[in-house]
Amino acid sequence: MGNKIKEAFEDPRKVISKALVALGGRNKDVIFISCDSSLGASGEPFRQRYPQRHFEFGIQEQSSMGTAAGFAASGKIPFITAYVPFITFRCFEQIRDDVCKTNLNVNIIGNNCGFSVSALGPTHVVLEDVSAMRSIPNITIISPADGPEYRQTIFAAAEIEGPVYLRVHRHKIRSIHKNGFKFIPGKGELLRRGSDITLITTSTMVVNSLNAATLLQSYGISVEVINMSTLKPIDEDIIIKSTSKTKRVVTVEEHSIIGGLGSAVSDVLIRENPVKMEMIGIEDKFAIVGNYKQVIDYYGLTSEKIASSIINFINKNKECNL
Amino acid sequence: MSKLSKSQIKELIEKSYKARINILEMMKNGEAHIGGAFSAIDIITVLYNKILKHNPRKPKWGDRDRFILSAGHKCMALYSVLSEQGYFDKELLKTYANFNTRVQMHPDEKSLPGIESPTGSLGHGLPVANGIALCAKMTRLRYKVFVMLGDGECEEGSIWESAMAASHHELDNIIVIIDRNGLQVNGATSKIMDTSMLENKFHSFGWKVETIDGHNFEQIYNALSSTPFELRKPSCIVADTIKCKGLTFAENKFEFHQCYLSIKEVENSIHIVREAKEKELEKIGQ
Repeated sequence: MGNKIKEAFEDPRKVISKALVALGGRNKDVIFISCDSSLGASGEPFRQRYPQRHFEFGIQEQSSMGTAAGFAASGKIPFITAYVPFITFRCFEQIRDDVCKTNLNVNIIGNNCGFSVSALGPTHVVLEDVSAMRSIPNITIISPADGPEYRQTIFAAAEIEGPVYLRVHRHKIRSIHKNGFKFIPGKGELLRRGSDITLITTSTMVVNSLNAATLLQSYGISVEVINMSTLKPIDEDIIIKSTSKTKRVVTVEEHSIIGGLGSAVSDVLIRENPVKMEMIGIEDKFAIVGNYKQVIDYYGLTSEKIASSIINFINKNKECNL
Repeated sequence: MSKLSKSQIKELIEKSYKARINILEMMKNGEAHIGGAFSAIDIITVLYNKILKHNPRKPKWGDRDRFILSAGHKCMALYSVLSEQGYFDKELLKTYANFNTRVQMHPDEKSLPGIESPTGSLGHGLPVANGIALCAKMTRLRYKVFVMLGDGECEEGSIWESAMAASHHELDNIIVIIDRNGLQVNGATSKIMDTSMLENKFHSFGWKVETIDGHNFEQIYNALSSTPFELRKPSCIVADTIKCKGLTFAENKFEFHQCYLSIKEVENSIHIVREAKEKELEKIGQ
């Protein structure tokens, strides 16, 4: 729970690197496919430890993704990685036809999600990856919040029989979980209880949202915070249960509000429990360029700006007969 | 010198023309890709009857040679041969292209035994084959992976990515067969996007290449049974073929890439194909 925060910061890529080596030791079928991406991403320690199970494919994501499918069809458990735009959009049809249609155990690691590399501009900053990947049947999408969750996601991905898309951020993230935390795919996690509004968030925005909730407490607003690390399949029960109590919901994501977490939550609520909703994320635009702090501030994703948006939302909807 | 006897060649001719008639029967269900099916059928017939290490009763047998029809639209040829081999009941062919059928207009790996990968969107087969072939290398299995491409399909960038990767990883257990019938949906490949000199292109990508007549059973068999052409190199067989081969009025016409034949036209076509078979058998002689 959020009130037992361990003050540790971990680099997601380093966490994943170690987890992959550990997984490779446990399971000899695990292989790693690099698209000229091992050094910058998470595959180098795996390559050094298991050179026979590391395959370099260079800058050719379409071919690499098809090859991952071929490996999986032959009983192996491939992890394949590259920057988010290249490992999702560049080879989207290979993911759809060769990996998802066949429902193979291919684990796609999208490096540098969200504004990880905000200075590199819109070709490298993809804010639509969840929207695109959510549209494909059979795939599980996971966007972990901190080191312990990233670590467990690697082991969970190998266990999940079908394809997994794992979004990995570049920035060190404060750990919100204690050792012994158990990640369960497909389950949202109640991090902080509240009664006035439900805040559902994912990835880097979990820490900012918890901080926003603490700020709002001093304004007398009680925020229930849910970490939705599995974006697909989404945990409908936790969304319905929490919003039945609070009658208001806000989603916070470092992603486009079209097709991302906000859309996924609204898909559930419009059908099961229509409540007033606010989506905090990036409008239908390509990303502005700047350093991470500047860009997060510009899009209103700092703790203070999230808190401020929530106050405005609550004020606007005070009179609603919900 | 031929490695096939005359009687073996005659047997293959009989089988490939029987497969053509199966395809024509499927054409009764509506518009379909007959042109490529007829250009590829002789090669696929040789593969399943003489080359592939396979067992129709155990389609998932781990040591089997794989065949991936990357140019998935030619699948009537594959269905026809698979059913003749006993992978599934030939009666199923009658459901070709019907509602919710297992015998779809592009091969579906979940619907029929013997289909390795869902192809249809061009340029997908060779990358998948690379993964299967690399897996054989790492697990020391001796199976081969045969992949059929169309010459039009070689316009796709993913073919060249994966061609580069196959030679980089020294996949001598990959054999690509290009069904070079020279035509694609809208006309001649030479006019639409010139894929000429495929031999040179694959050679420059590190492959060992041979060119054959894709309707000459001796040449097909000799090339396929000589693979890998060179150790630590992938093999490429460029097979010159005739679109709609055997259906004389439609041969070499791009309009028959995908077409509709009325029931009467199908019956007439079966007659024409039978005549074509007799001519082929005559050529072989006694």
